[in-house]
Parts: sequence; C-alpha cells; structure tokens
Amino acid sequence: MSAVTPVIEQASSGRVRRFLTGPVGAQITAVIAFLLLWQLVTLIAPRVPTPASVAHFLYIEITGGPHGGIVTGQFWEHFAATLRYFSIGLLIGFTAGVLVGVVIGSSRIGQALLNDTVLVLLTLPAFVWAFLATMWFGISWQAPVVAVAFSSFPFVTINVAQGVRSITPELKNMSSAFGVSRRKRFRHLTLAAVTGYLFAGLRFAIIIGWNGILLWEWFSGQEGVGFRTRYWFDANRYRGFVGWVIVFIVFIVIVDRVLLNRLQARAFRWRDPGEVSDGIEQNGG
Amino acid sequence: MTETLAQAAPDREALALELRRTAAGSRRRRYLAVVGGWLAFLLVWWGLAALLGSEARLPSPPRVLQEVREILAGDFWTQFWASIVRVIAGFFAAVAIGTPLGFIMGRSRYWGNFLQAPVVVAGSIPGLTYAVMAFVVFGISFWGPVMAVGLISMPYVAINVAEGVRGVDRGLINMSIAYHRSEQQIFRNVVVPSVLPFIFAGVRLSFSLAWKVGTLTEVFGSSKGIGFQIRRNFQLFNMPAVIAWVLLFCLFMLLIERLVLVRLERRLFRWRQWERD
Amino acid sequence: MARIDIERLSKIFPPPTKGGDPVTAIGDISMEIEGNVFVSVVGPSGCGKSTLLNILSGVETPTSGRASVTEGEREARLGYVFQDARLLPWRTVMDNMTYVRDDEGSAATEAAAHYLEMVGLSHTHHMFPGQLSGGMQQRVGIARAFSVEPDLLLMDEPFSHLDAITARSLRDHLQILWAATRKTVLFVTHDVVEAVQLSDRIIILAPGGVVFDDISIDLEHPRRVTDPKVATLQAEILARFEEMHPSSAAAELGA
Repeated sequence: MSAVTPVIEQASSGRVRRFLTGPVGAQITAVIAFLLLWQLVTLIAPRVPTPASVAHFLYIEITGGPHGGIVTGQFWEHFAATLRYFSIGLLIGFTAGVLVGVVIGSSRIGQALLNDTVLVLLTLPAFVWAFLATMWFGISWQAPVVAVAFSSFPFVTINVAQGVRSITPELKNMSSAFGVSRRKRFRHLTLAAVTGYLFAGLRFAIIIGWNGILLWEWFSGQEGVGFRTRYWFDANRYRGFVGWVIVFIVFIVIVDRVLLNRLQARAFRWRDPGEVSDGIEQNGG
Repeated sequence: MTETLAQAAPDREALALELRRTAAGSRRRRYLAVVGGWLAFLLVWWGLAALLGSEARLPSPPRVLQEVREILAGDFWTQFWASIVRVIAGFFAAVAIGTPLGFIMGRSRYWGNFLQAPVVVAGSIPGLTYAVMAFVVFGISFWGPVMAVGLISMPYVAINVAEGVRGVDRGLINMSIAYHRSEQQIFRNVVVPSVLPFIFAGVRLSFSLAWKVGTLTEVFGSSKGIGFQIRRNFQLFNMPAVIAWVLLFCLFMLLIERLVLVRLERRLFRWRQWERD
Repeated sequence: MARIDIERLSKIFPPPTKGGDPVTAIGDISMEIEGNVFVSVVGPSGCGKSTLLNILSGVETPTSGRASVTEGEREARLGYVFQDARLLPWRTVMDNMTYVRDDEGSAATEAAAHYLEMVGLSHTHHMFPGQLSGGMQQRVGIARAFSVEPDLLLMDEPFSHLDAITARSLRDHLQILWAATRKTVLFVTHDVVEAVQLSDRIIILAPGGVVFDDISIDLEHPRRVTDPKVATLQAEILARFEEMHPSSAAAELGA
C-alpha cells in the first residue's frame, strides 16, 4: 500500500505540473497572477480601483441598477453602436485594402507608385486618424467610420500585396504551360494563395481598427464603448473607467484569439506557420 | 583555333559590358520608380488640397512645410527631447525587467514553458491598453509613458534574451571550464556577450511600437511632448499644425529606427560582420 | 614532467532514448603516461576518445575507476585544443589568448604575443576570429593552449575539420611548437597515419572503449610525411589498426 501511494502521488503531481505549464494552465495562472498584481497595485496607487469593485460596477452597468444617479443598463446599446461603425469602417478599409493590395502586388508600376505611400500610412498610429477624422467630419457617423477605415487600410494592403507577390512567376508559368483557362487560374492559384494573407491582414485590421474607433469615441464620440469609458473617467468614477477598459480589452482578445486565430489556422493549413506578415508588428494606438 | 578564341574573347567582353549596363539600368529604373512614387504622392496630396480648397480640410504641402519650419525653429526640440527621454527611460525599464526574465526563461525549461504564454500575451496586448493602464496608474506625469513603453517592449526583450541564453555556445563554456575559468569570468566573457546582441535586437524591434505607444500615452496624460502637441493642436482645430507634428513624429521614428539604431547595432557588434553563420 | 595515471577507468552514459541501452563510452582502460612524450589515442568515432579527454580535464566524471593527471606533487596544469577552435568571436585574437591566462597586463600580452609569433600569426593581434580562416583560427587555438605553459596538452582531433593541405601545415606548426617546448601531449585522433607522423607512442582503442594495442614509435622528430621511413611505418601500423577496425570493403578487395 505504501509502495503504491507514493507512485500515484507522483503521477498526479506530474500531471498538475504539466497542466500548469501547458498553454491553458499557464494562461489561467497568468490571469490569476495579474489579478493578484492588480490588487497589490491598488495598495500603492490609491486611485486604482480594486478588481472586486470593478466587477461589481460592470454588473450594475450591464443589468441596470442604481449608480449614484447616473443612467446605467445601456451597456448593449453602447456596444452595438460601436460595433456598427466599426464594421462599416472595417468593410471599407478592407475592400480598399484588397484592391490597392492587388494593384501593388501584381504590377511593378503600381508597386513603385503606391508602396511607399502605404508604408507611410502604416507608420501613422490610430490616434492620428481619430483626430483627423474629427477635424474632417466633425461629430457625425462618418468620422468614426473614416477613422477605422484609414487605420486598418494599410495593414490589409501590405498583406494582400505580399500574398499576390507570393504567387511566384513559376506558378503562373506552370498554369499557362498547361493551358488552364484564365478564370480557373485566377480562382485556384491567386485566390488560394492570397486567402491566407487576407486573413492575416484582416486580423491586424481588426485590432488596429478597434483601437481607432475607441480612440475616436474617447475624444469626440457621443455614444459607444470609447465614449462611455471617457464618460466615467470624466466623472472621476475610476471603477467605471477601468470596467469599460476591461470590456474593450476582453472583446478584442476574444475576437482575436478565439475567432481569428482559428480562421487563420484553417486558411493557412497549406503553409508553414511563422511566414505570416504583419508589415511591422504594430499594435500601437 | 586561335581565331575562334580571339573571337570568343570580345564576345565575352561585350556580354559582360551588356550585363553591367542593364544591371545599372535596372537600378536606375528602380530609383526613378521610387522617386516617381513620392512625386505621385505629393502631387495627389497637392491636388486634393487644391480641390478641397480650405486649409482646415487638407492643407497643401507648402503650407505644411511652412508649419514644419516654424515648429522646428520653435520649441520642437524641447518637445522632442521630452518624448525621447521617456522612451529611453521606458526601454531601460524594459531591459531591466525583461533581461532577468529572459534569463530565467532561457535557462530553465520549466520557467520557459511557464512564462512563455503570459509573456506572449503581454506582447500581443494592444498598445492602447498599456497607454490607458499607465494613465490610470500615473495620471498626468512623466512616468505614465515610461511605464507604457516599458510594458510594451518588455516582452520583446524577454523573448529575445531567452533565445540568446538558449543559444549560448556550449562549446565556449566547455572550453572555459577546461581552462579553469571562474563562473564570473564565464558569465562576463561568454554569456553576456552572447546575449547582448539579442537584448539590442529586442529594443530595435520594438522601437517603432514603443514610440507610438509612448506618444499615445502623452496624448492622454502629459503636458509635454510630441503627443501632447498633437492633441493640443487637435483641440485648437489647427489642421496644418496637426499634420506638421504628425509628419515630424513619423520622420523621427523612421530616422531613429533606421539610422540611429541600425548604425549603433553595427558599431556595438562589429565582430558579427565577419561571422559566417 | 606530467604524469597520467588511469586505472580501470570506465564511463557509461544513460540511454539516450527511453528504454534503450546505456552507452558504454569507455569500457575498461588502464594506462600510464609519463614524461615529455607525444602520445596518440587512436580509434574510430564513438570509441570514447573524446570522453577520455573530458574526464582528464574535469568536464566529465568517471563511472568507475580513476584517472589523475599530476605534475610532481600537484595537479597538472592543462592546455586543451578542440576540434573547432572555440575562440570567443567577440574578442580579439589577443584577448582570446589572455582570456585563458590567470595573470594580467603586459606579462600576459607578452606571453601571448610570443606564442602567436611561433605559429606565424603576429599580425593578427587585433583581428576578430571571424576575420581568420579556419586554419588560422585553429593555429590561435593551439598557440592559446601552449601559452598557458601547461604540464599536459590535451588535443581532441584538432585537425579533423580542416582540409588536408591546411591540416598538413598545422601538423608542421605543431611539431615546431612541441619541439621548442617539449610538453606531454595526449593527442586524440581517428587518423592512424596522422598519429604515426606525430607521436612517440600510439594507443589503439577497440570498440567499447578498451585498449587494443600500445605501440612505441622510435623515429626522430620532426617527421615529414615525405620521408620514406615515416611512410613505411605508417603502412605497418595502419595494417595493425585494420586488424581491429577493418574497412567495410576489405572482403571485396581481397584483403
């Protein structure tokens, strides 16, 4: 009996250790560590609200309850508003990006003329577009859409261009040598190769575009996630501020890791990992 | 036989000349294309500005140039200095935290696995989040941008250092042991020089990101710096000034990244240019 | 005058894969080496030759038996030349030379300069290893080993990574250095021909890390491969070596 139990104990502690060091376990531990760190920080910096108070706030904000006279319960309306403009802007930015990307990737003249411009646009952080959009369109529905479109456009372009360029001349020669019809060639060759890059571009476009609309709403909006964040900040209710910050972080993390990573993995099944381009890894605001 | 040889020689020469000419030609064509691209960009900008007519909509290139000159002649350097000092301080923090972290990750497989996921997650959190966090913790102060820069660059440094530590040449360590070198000597002469290029690479890779995030944090919570200037002119609806500051922001980001950092790397690691792997 | 005492030495490594067999690098070796002699240990790869050097230099510990390297009453000072030069790529040649010395300053640099001159590399003091050819790097490695004025010089197949022409030159450099300093050298190689050219004594190892033969060579130094006496001896000893480690094509060649 005593010879058996130690072996079992060893096995289970091995399993616990493996779980902790595996991807899921490590992430959970990281989250817990972060929460503990947060709690510690509240002791040093008095303005920082505790995790518990933020959680409580979010509960009220979502379900609608008394909060010192401020209207709550409109969580989903604000979220929907942001999502609406976000998606329209993303659609525009993505479409434009694909078009320009194809031009840059397939024609040398196109590349010579447009590539550097797109590179410059890549270096502009999202907050610049938030400002410019307001200065052009004031406080209207066009402004956030424009902010999202412009900030996401260059990432799509760069990735699509690389995707198109990756269709090496040999592939093109091969299919013309076999006399495959033009449409078929476009579909199978071009589209398949480009799809993977499309997803990469889409992923970065979403992250940057999301930054873009939040920044716009913070500085100029009248509704939406960014606006609400600013609202609580101005009211000096930091748990409200932090609560909404968590909302937008969690949203983008979920979208990115759960949704997009899966889609990208599927689209890239035929390729080695690690060859995806992100232009320059740019998640900055 | 000699006749055909004599014939072959000038042919070969002619071919070589032809190749050199076309190589130079294609290089020249590429320069022209790039210049053409910039000209096209400027012309489109100018045209659009003329079309829209008002400087509040889109100021023309000359108008922006004038603004840039005014800024450069004015307090640009104080603002730039304020911004760059924060970025440098942030990098110091990133290196101070990331290097030991990377060491632990590189030397121990357990900690490497354990820390890999959180470090990668930390590296993929959008800069906006860090800017906001820094703002929450520090408010309007010098330290906000420093913290944001530090947080966003730290994963790059840590991961690079881990790579560097894992890649330390075991043969050199064994050689040092065979010659009875002390642990300190081995650390100073083998480990540190192996890892140093990786630290620098982490800094160089994250520079443009750090510059953006630092500026963003300034936009929120600062009373000095390029980010603050952009916001101030935005609030004044001074379009030429906003564009001028943005242009300067990008220009210096590229200058520092491409010129300063790359040159510095080459000087610090002179010995690498002859390395054969 | 260094003295190597090896008594029933064995080194067994744990199996490389789960459920495999442990690896016997050294089965059972005993030998005594004394005096300023050049001794070669010859055998094909996997015979435990490098392991033997690792144990003598302290990098590895024996599984059983003992090995000691002494100079009179004290532990011998060791110099080590590896298959690859193992120079610190981020330090100059001079800094690499002084790295292994315990003294500092001008004493160290003068000694280093002296040995660099003996291998014909005086002009490379401030160059980085990356600027040197493989042969030159190995010459620095050899000069480095000699410069610590070791009682015993361990050399682990130092020329096996070089092309034949460079290797021949380096063997000559080595003979010059050895003639000038007359250290005890333990030289490990898989090349019997090379061993005959360089050594006073050849120890042939069999698979499983045991001694197969122990041959003394009595020709004067330095030996040139163009010398017919050297060539004859090389053929003889190679034949002896082939008894233990035959060529896999021996049968077809009617040997």
